Amino acid sequence: MPDPIVLAAGLRLPQARAGVRYAREDAGHLGATAARELLARTGLDGSELDEVIVGCVGPPHDQANVARVIALRAGVPRAVPAHTVGRNCASGMQAVTTAATHIEAGRGELFLCLGVEVMSAYPLMFNRKATDFFARLAKTKTLGARLGAFLKFRPAMLAPRIMLVEGLTDPTNGLIMGSTAEVLARDFGIGREEADAFALESHRRAKRAHESGRMAREIVPHVPLGARSGDAALDRDDGVRDDQSLEALAKLRPYFEKPDGIVTVGNACGITDGATAILVTRRSRADALGLTPLATIRSFAWAGCDPARMGLGPVYSSAKALADAGCTLADVGAVEINEAFAAQVLACRKAFASDEFAAKELGAASALGELGPDKLNVNGGAIAVGHPVGATGARLLLTTALELAAGDHELGLATLCIGGGQGGAVVLERSAA
Amino acid sequence: MSAFDDLPQPENAPPPGSCWRIERPEAGLLHLVLDPPHRPKIAVFDVPAMRDLDLALDEIEKEGEARGLVLTGREPLSFAGGADVDAIAGITDPEQAAVLVSRVHAIFNRLERMGRGHGGRLFTVAAVGGPVPGGACEITLCCDRTVLADHAKTRIGLPEVKLGIFPAWGGSSRLPRRVGLPAAMQAILTGRLYRPRAAKKIGLVDRLTQPEYLLRVAGDVAMGRMKCPRRSRGWRGLLIDKNPLAGAFVVNASRKQVMKQTRGHYPAPLTAIDIVSRAPRVSLARSLAAEVEAVKPLATSPVAKSLIGLFKLSEEAKKLGEVDGEKAPGIERGAVIGGGVMGGAIAGLMAEKGIAARLRDLDQAALDRAVIEQQAVVGKKKKKRRLKPHEADRALDLLETTTEPLGFGRCEIAIEAVAEVLEVKRKVFGELAGLLPPDAILATNTSSLSVDAIAETLPSPERVIGMHFFNPVRKMPLVEIVRGAKTSDAVVARTARLALDLGKTPVVTKDVAGFLVNRLLGPYLDEAVRLAEAGADLGKVDRALLEFGMPMGPYELLDEVGLDIAGHAASSLEEAYGERMTACTFFKPLLETGQLGKKTGRGIYVWEEGKGGRQRNAGRNPTGPRAVAHEFSTEEIVDRTVLAMLNEAARALEEEVVAGPRELDLATVFGMGFAPFRGGLLRYADRRGLPAIVERLRLLADKQGVGDRASGRPRFEPAPLLVELARDGRHFHG
Repeated sequence: MPDPIVLAAGLRLPQARAGVRYAREDAGHLGATAARELLARTGLDGSELDEVIVGCVGPPHDQANVARVIALRAGVPRAVPAHTVGRNCASGMQAVTTAATHIEAGRGELFLCLGVEVMSAYPLMFNRKATDFFARLAKTKTLGARLGAFLKFRPAMLAPRIMLVEGLTDPTNGLIMGSTAEVLARDFGIGREEADAFALESHRRAKRAHESGRMAREIVPHVPLGARSGDAALDRDDGVRDDQSLEALAKLRPYFEKPDGIVTVGNACGITDGATAILVTRRSRADALGLTPLATIRSFAWAGCDPARMGLGPVYSSAKALADAGCTLADVGAVEINEAFAAQVLACRKAFASDEFAAKELGAASALGELGPDKLNVNGGAIAVGHPVGATGARLLLTTALELAAGDHELGLATLCIGGGQGGAVVLERSAA
Repeated sequence: MSAFDDLPQPENAPPPGSCWRIERPEAGLLHLVLDPPHRPKIAVFDVPAMRDLDLALDEIEKEGEARGLVLTGREPLSFAGGADVDAIAGITDPEQAAVLVSRVHAIFNRLERMGRGHGGRLFTVAAVGGPVPGGACEITLCCDRTVLADHAKTRIGLPEVKLGIFPAWGGSSRLPRRVGLPAAMQAILTGRLYRPRAAKKIGLVDRLTQPEYLLRVAGDVAMGRMKCPRRSRGWRGLLIDKNPLAGAFVVNASRKQVMKQTRGHYPAPLTAIDIVSRAPRVSLARSLAAEVEAVKPLATSPVAKSLIGLFKLSEEAKKLGEVDGEKAPGIERGAVIGGGVMGGAIAGLMAEKGIAARLRDLDQAALDRAVIEQQAVVGKKKKKRRLKPHEADRALDLLETTTEPLGFGRCEIAIEAVAEVLEVKRKVFGELAGLLPPDAILATNTSSLSVDAIAETLPSPERVIGMHFFNPVRKMPLVEIVRGAKTSDAVVARTARLALDLGKTPVVTKDVAGFLVNRLLGPYLDEAVRLAEAGADLGKVDRALLEFGMPMGPYELLDEVGLDIAGHAASSLEEAYGERMTACTFFKPLLETGQLGKKTGRGIYVWEEGKGGRQRNAGRNPTGPRAVAHEFSTEEIVDRTVLAMLNEAARALEEEVVAGPRELDLATVFGMGFAPFRGGLLRYADRRGLPAIVERLRLLADKQGVGDRASGRPRFEPAPLLVELARDGRHFHG
């Protein structure tokens, strides 16, 4: 490629368990903080941007096009347009691939891309009965009619609809995400011990990455809204448990399928808030801006699969992306698969290595290859650092890009499963000096 | 022949009849437009404008067909800036003031009687917008209705008491009739300028509309095509406004409040209380007559002259941010280095005012404190509705923090607020010079180091400047702009513009030790310490100076500033000015035991937790040093402290530390809170008489226990400038 598309710069804020440190955060502020810092550090004149693209699954109700809110709050000049993209858990990755597609099509060259999610702020809604009640009440004109409408009140109307739960449930098959992981556990014969061990390793690796300073290379400390006097800035992902152990994990009860399921809150990703910002452009433009790119986008792919087995999405999409890039899994040094559930990542690992799966599902002669522990999620994953749904896709790209230099690899693969039965994958290449 | 021909006209007064224009946009409707040719920027109600209003009303009376009249300005957002402040400042004869006011009353009454509400044949509508202060607001009260342009620039109200006078063009009489006694009392005593919605809410105006629709809507109202009912006071009018008992209650409460705030130094609000409270119960003519009587002593009072002078000075200070009459380019993005209390507050203030501020400190914890403080300050303002939610968001977004030397490439200014060590500051600026654009301003918030010394090692000293904020940054209204020997004019103007954009009043000073304010505070505070050493009662000294008009007593101020900071400032003054600034070490034991003032809970006084998180003075610190008690008269306390400061001010003036006596006075009022009713330190001296002051200084210099100590005689030996002015019978102010 003469002038490849690169991730010219990127950073992220620490990811925090929902409702705790970021309980008072909002997507506009969190996204704007990350975007503003990236603009400052790159020294970029905001008016040079062609567009701001933000991935977000649940934009706040008062910020429907949260991208525009973030752009303006980050000080991007008002002449620069902005739009929000959504592909559930891959929204942050979608922001980057949308930018890449625009660049390939010649529609712009410099894009500020973000993934942002504040699950702390997901609302509770009135149920249908309550909504109807209020609607009737509003229509009444006389005192008598009003009293009559009031008398129709029933306690059941107070039961809220929980956006978080409904948002994580696939409306086409009624399965909540955790249950799709249980399907995979049964399909691939994955046991509780195996899943717990994977979860424990995720925490250990994340802890090491934070302690070694590896994570500090992508994280900018953040003082959240609603901080109290004496609080310190958050400078690491707060879902990482220093004291996680197999014993503690074993004590947890299955969360989605009682009593025989294997998915617990300990071996699933947590509900999390976070924001990641990445600057996407052509190599030549990055050079002109005086930026040393983090990585080159070699290829990317989106793929669909069975919604009840959405967790296998990475296998389908990685097969396509690797084929596009003209390389094999063996050529790839660093792989990030989003850890939605330990069982789901373990299922992916088995599917990657299975000739049978390759033949039946991918139409390929042989398996994609082995995903050894030295290659897969070496800095831990979402089970430890959390999964702010709209932000994760961008976070995976940032972590993979930085891992190329940190682990001295030529190629990296960032991939994730997507609720609704999809997968997304991006092959990154270390940028030539 | 107009009633105004015999009054003094300004030099550039236009020919009679040219200040107001009568337009006839449709049959039956008249527009009366204020557009004086000699006031191209802002119209004011000066003598020519009043003369011509009288002539215009003559003409309108002849218009037999007219049914509606719209009173307006040359633009929807430009009506008038009120009365001519320069003219008020120039009035020396109480009778002349009374004559002027009663003639304005006559014309305003005439306008009012033309209105249908007062038996006239015209429906009169004031259509105004933009600033509508004082006299401009008072004329709207004479119209049947007021339509106000709903715009961010619109402010309407009666701010006269802020200038030491009161609304005497009928405002004190008509406002209570229109909005009721309690609201009128509040409006007039606070001098608040109301935003459109607030003005509508209290009933000061009858309708709001967009500036573009102002004339159309006003015309429709005037011609009766559009309803614009006026809210009546109803039962409230009888029960509150006209009820002597309720009136007495309002008067009592207001008087108490005013006395508490002004200590009786400001007569205008008390006068206003009298007239406003009676207005609803007496005839308009009687109330207006009371205005005329009351204006006599007030308009010529030294307090009014002082306050008007200060108002004009602070208006003039705005010119510092200009180059050749054009505003210097504003700052959109700045850096602040050093995240301590000062640096954090400066960066936070910038963010609040819409300027991106990148705050750097090597210590993440300092940055965290700055951000949390900003959240607290902004959150409080949002709760009090001083900031709208989106403005509060912006104030938080614009404050960036970092521990790393990254992200400064687009900063147009860097303000340094690091430790007061020359080498540290030089190092900081040396590093910044490499990070910032080549033309960025390098500003130091030093209070004790020389700007030139800091600039010395830098490649481009012309862009180094001092920008001295006072603590607490958000409250103190003055910023000293310290011009180094090589600082360029453009850098001075742009830095002053930034200070103005931050809502501060700038004063340009020379690069001398202590600049101006701290240099003057030095001898003042030190004299206070020496009084303590000589056995003065601390409470009495603090009270005496509070009574004099200082915002707080000297010992309380020392505790507020911190004894360590004050000590540091004193020693740098001593180093620069020698003997006359020798610092008294009486409170050194406190310093040595770490009892530094409010911040440590103990200093000269003991500070206890009081209401609302504020600290309360719980009396003298029992562990502090004691001297054998000695009784000082209030007069001696004031003279020793204030005249020590005055003498130093004369020296500073002679050295041209600031441009002139006016700037010096402005700095004393805005920088140290020197009694505004006295008009500033030099104005105070002028009033007292320079020969008397020289004599008093000599007396003090010769006094035992003052003149015979090391720093006493040189401090009280009258400064040459003072002696010279006194000898020639001149004043500081021309």
